[in-house]
Amino acid sequence: MWEFLKHHRFEITTLTLEHIWLVAISMAIAVLVGVPAGILLTRKPRLRQPVIGGANIIETIPSLALFGFLLPAPWLGARADRIAITALALYALLPIIRNTYVGITGVDPGVREAARGMGLTSRQLLWQVELPLSMSVILAGIRTATVLCIGIATIAAAIGAGGLGEFIFRGLAMVNDSLILAGAIPAAILALAADLGLGWLEARLRPPAA
Amino acid sequence: MGEPAIAFRGVSYRTQNRVLLGPLDLEVARGEMLVLLGRSGSGKTTALKLINRLLEECEGTVLVDGRPTREWDVIALRRHTGYVIQEIGLFPHYTVAKNVGLVPRLLGKPQPEVRDRVDAMLRLVDLDPQEFQARYPHELSGGQRQRVGVARALAGDPEILLMDEPFGALDPLSRAELQRQFLEIRKRVQKTTVLVTHDVGEALLLADRIALLEGGKLMGIYSRAEFLASSDTTVAAYRAAWSGNLQFSGGDDSHVGVS
Repeated sequence: MWEFLKHHRFEITTLTLEHIWLVAISMAIAVLVGVPAGILLTRKPRLRQPVIGGANIIETIPSLALFGFLLPAPWLGARADRIAITALALYALLPIIRNTYVGITGVDPGVREAARGMGLTSRQLLWQVELPLSMSVILAGIRTATVLCIGIATIAAAIGAGGLGEFIFRGLAMVNDSLILAGAIPAAILALAADLGLGWLEARLRPPAA
Repeated sequence: MGEPAIAFRGVSYRTQNRVLLGPLDLEVARGEMLVLLGRSGSGKTTALKLINRLLEECEGTVLVDGRPTREWDVIALRRHTGYVIQEIGLFPHYTVAKNVGLVPRLLGKPQPEVRDRVDAMLRLVDLDPQEFQARYPHELSGGQRQRVGVARALAGDPEILLMDEPFGALDPLSRAELQRQFLEIRKRVQKTTVLVTHDVGEALLLADRIALLEGGKLMGIYSRAEFLASSDTTVAAYRAAWSGNLQFSGGDDSHVGVS
């Protein structure tokens, strides 16, 4: 095993970086879409059912199938990494939208009313009060989504998008445990590291109780 | 006396199928301390929120400085009226200084001026700025939090102060202390004030005039002496409940300062 790792260290590093890259880009897109979407839901409650419902449905599609569905899509289908990033971002949306919505609506109504009564504009209310007070809940959603994506990203190798899944699929095909572990262990370490790191940040951003 | 600071003209407010208030006609003179007294559900908080447009009237007009509130820019209206609610309203993620300085900061005052204002306001409510400005709300006692709430409401130098059960969440001792202190503050800063309470003793202690609300209707407006002397059955019932409390606790009327 040790020999194997030493021998493949260059490839392991490359695929790990590729894996991180896939997840990072997907998460960036998911956050840029999901957080504003969650905020929008708090302003337009009528959209809540359809949007959360839609995100829920995406979540139920098996990941391998979702990668497959996206293959014939124009522009996206032309490159495997585009498909992988789109699919991962879609999976990451639900926890992010939901936590943003729950976090903001969970802000103490007394605090919100005091802020409005003091003459904060809707935007000031959002930036000065609602977002800071819900940041840890939003971050918890990002953390869940990140860990989820690191796992699902291994399947992206099935459509040739690279990442640590390459080892796993190759290992499965060759019935070689060392190869499977060479993909699975770094992926697990990545997930743990993301979970710990974001968990630490989440705790730091948690507002003091009133 | 000039035009009233606040006037309700035939104002009513209702939700889909229930009238919560009105029709209400009421004037608050400039510099006056008017207490809206009533039990839960009497419409007193509704009336208060109609002044700074946290709620909007269904009929009639609410005037602030002679102008219908509907015509005010809502942000300007709310900056014109400080707002204090039960202790929950402080921003838990802001220090005391940031809480108090928020409105001056939003008004675009330069940093040194904001700091001076925060210092002055904290001193006004008898909190040592050195000791308290860096603390967070959860590091304060209930009474201290409420003082910060008052300081914050006054920091933008509003013409009008709206207070909804401001001392409601406090233990009786802190409550009495804060009420007395608030009277002191009132002597120094004469703001038109509307205070909502269900506490008869508090109303008698603080009010220039008491507006008694029952089931969304105004039962009458009384000076302290009138309230104590009125033969109206509703007023008498409030008085009885209050003096019953006093007798139970072995007290008497003298500390209320009835003239």
